[in-house]
Amino acid sequence: MFWFQVERLLNYWPILLKGLGMTISLSLLSLLVGCVIGLLFGIIRAGRIRWLSALTGLYIDLFRGTPFLVQVFICFFILPTVGIELSAFSAGVIALSNLSACFIGEIIASGIKAVPKGQSEAALSSGLRYSQQLRLVILPQALRIVRPSLVGQFILLVKDSSVISAIGIMDLTRSGWMIVQNIPNGLLVFGVVGIGYFIICYPMIFVARRMERRQQTSIL
Amino acid sequence: MTAKLTKLLLSASLFALAGTAATTYTAEAGTLDDILARGELRVAVQTQGPPYSFMDKAGARTGSAIQLTELMAKEMGVKVTYLDFDWDGLIPALMSGKADILAADMTATLTRATKVAFTKPWIHVGAVAFTTSGSDFKSVEDCKKPGTTIAVILGSTAEKSVPKFFPEGEMKSFKGGGTVVLDAVASGQAQCGVNDNTAVAAQVLNYPENTFTVFPDMLTAEPLAYAVRYDSQDLLTWTNLFLDTVQQDGRLKENLDYWVNSNKWQNDH
Amino acid sequence: MLGNLNIRVIADYFPALWQGFLNTLMLSGLGFAGAMILGIIACALTIQPLRWLRAPAIAYVDCIRATPLLAQLYFLYFGLPRLGILLPEIVIGIIALALNSGAYVAEIIRSGILAIPRGQFEASMSSGFTYLQRMRFIILPQAIRPTISPLIGQAIVLVKDSSLLSLISVVELARVGQQIALDRFMPVEGLAATAAGFLIIYYLLKALAGFWSRFDRVPGRS
Repeated sequence: MFWFQVERLLNYWPILLKGLGMTISLSLLSLLVGCVIGLLFGIIRAGRIRWLSALTGLYIDLFRGTPFLVQVFICFFILPTVGIELSAFSAGVIALSNLSACFIGEIIASGIKAVPKGQSEAALSSGLRYSQQLRLVILPQALRIVRPSLVGQFILLVKDSSVISAIGIMDLTRSGWMIVQNIPNGLLVFGVVGIGYFIICYPMIFVARRMERRQQTSIL
Repeated sequence: MTAKLTKLLLSASLFALAGTAATTYTAEAGTLDDILARGELRVAVQTQGPPYSFMDKAGARTGSAIQLTELMAKEMGVKVTYLDFDWDGLIPALMSGKADILAADMTATLTRATKVAFTKPWIHVGAVAFTTSGSDFKSVEDCKKPGTTIAVILGSTAEKSVPKFFPEGEMKSFKGGGTVVLDAVASGQAQCGVNDNTAVAAQVLNYPENTFTVFPDMLTAEPLAYAVRYDSQDLLTWTNLFLDTVQQDGRLKENLDYWVNSNKWQNDH
Repeated sequence: MLGNLNIRVIADYFPALWQGFLNTLMLSGLGFAGAMILGIIACALTIQPLRWLRAPAIAYVDCIRATPLLAQLYFLYFGLPRLGILLPEIVIGIIALALNSGAYVAEIIRSGILAIPRGQFEASMSSGFTYLQRMRFIILPQAIRPTISPLIGQAIVLVKDSSLLSLISVVELARVGQQIALDRFMPVEGLAATAAGFLIIYYLLKALAGFWSRFDRVPGRS
């Protein structure tokens, strides 16, 4: 019975492969856009302009605190009522970029705040402008502190992309749901889907670990 | 160097976004005039499983409900475009005008009809109970024993009928369609399952013979129907006439005989 | 579509929503408690010097992080019965949430430890403390501070992930929202109610973190 199902599953590899490709392109696009906006959010959030920081904070809270499905639906179904028509793919990419920007922004802000004050004071006294302080002194240290959290966020983004299938995008998870109708073994089918995600996510984890090891060998 | 690369990647991704944004739908659909003007019937479906709407071995979308909508588009003289959603997405898709009609194996209920306009039913199905072959449950009566765990699909009408028929049973609702309910019973997470007779009949075929015993008793009778918006009265009238027509000329029977009342489709899909 | 949000229907479902809200709180509360315990243990194992203890801990953290919760949930739910272990859905759900988030928590805490200046480790070692004492008195207190924000982030991810448990028939907030969508065909109302519930939990978590940080100020850090 089990091997019979495995054999049948092999027939579905083109669908799985297509799903894998869709998951990769959704996540990669959203990752790029989300990082850029997230960096901006983080700087504003940790910045000195109080009201702007608070406003960004409220925006970030709204998206961090609500289910992603709701956000996807707003992009796809509600935005058209104000004249913004989006295809399922672009609605998904926009929703996912926005969500990851919010998480990344909060992570980067926490990193910036964790850099000792003496660093920015020293940078200030050496005559650097605020933008230079950020770019040359604060951000490199902040990013180093939050790198594991960032990698964690990138991985979550890949997995969050599966929610977008609710508006009809055939990603890796959805292809699993299609296949499970013909091969009624959730364990087997989603095991294979899990391997697909592993293929995407593990390289990120691996690279992050290598970078870390180069920087700091065993500490205790 | 890296800054340049980032810029390049960013602009590339923005272009890609703009590109997809250009190929979007136009709003304000729904009436027959609109459908004929754009030459495309937009159908919201869910891929819930055989025999109504599923993906066949070749990876193509097919099933009884799918072929019926294809026939509908043919009679209308337009092409058909499928928008595939989960349960959550079907109604918003219809309401927001992304889809003209909703063609899923959906039971028409009075409560639901306060929100959408159902067409005439194209088939009546009934809930049946099943269990694994060789279990202690020999009849539907056995399944009524206190504490029996009964698997149903989350959000299906069985969720409402099971507490009525099995008042002392313990209902478990699974998200994800009929196959998950079968899987739950097969793996022992539930002792019995309840689902539409037609869906059960089609889906047990994916298991080796004699995995399940399906009890013949029909617990309910439920009309499955298509749904449109209430402001699409023209489409509603047309679809009802279409259903009457295919019922009279035998094409509906042909469809149901192939997909629902037999296993003939198994050979081709 | 937003214009005609039917508040009355949401009010009709309030008792069910409230029950779902409490269940979500309970599931994610227990799940996160488990995740913290697992995470701290896994983190401690990944940074200690014994290789044979380190390797399995790293394997756990990496494998969990690289695969989706859905696969892990199915693995536990449909896999365990084949080994003869039949647990109630709620228990499996909490275990899955704890196992999943535990890996992320381990990484977050580890990042906090890595951010501590080297001098602190060297000083702690030369002061003659044992490994456990070094952790307890010097390393962890410093490590926890920069991790509060990412931990809150992880907690809210877990709270939202708990809605996946409806796959294995556990009743929680998102499922009640779906019920509204399916009974009444009012998905917007269902989702709005769900979103509001999750937002409340999110702000509760944030308030908790704010409460913590008020007691935990260090000179030299803003």
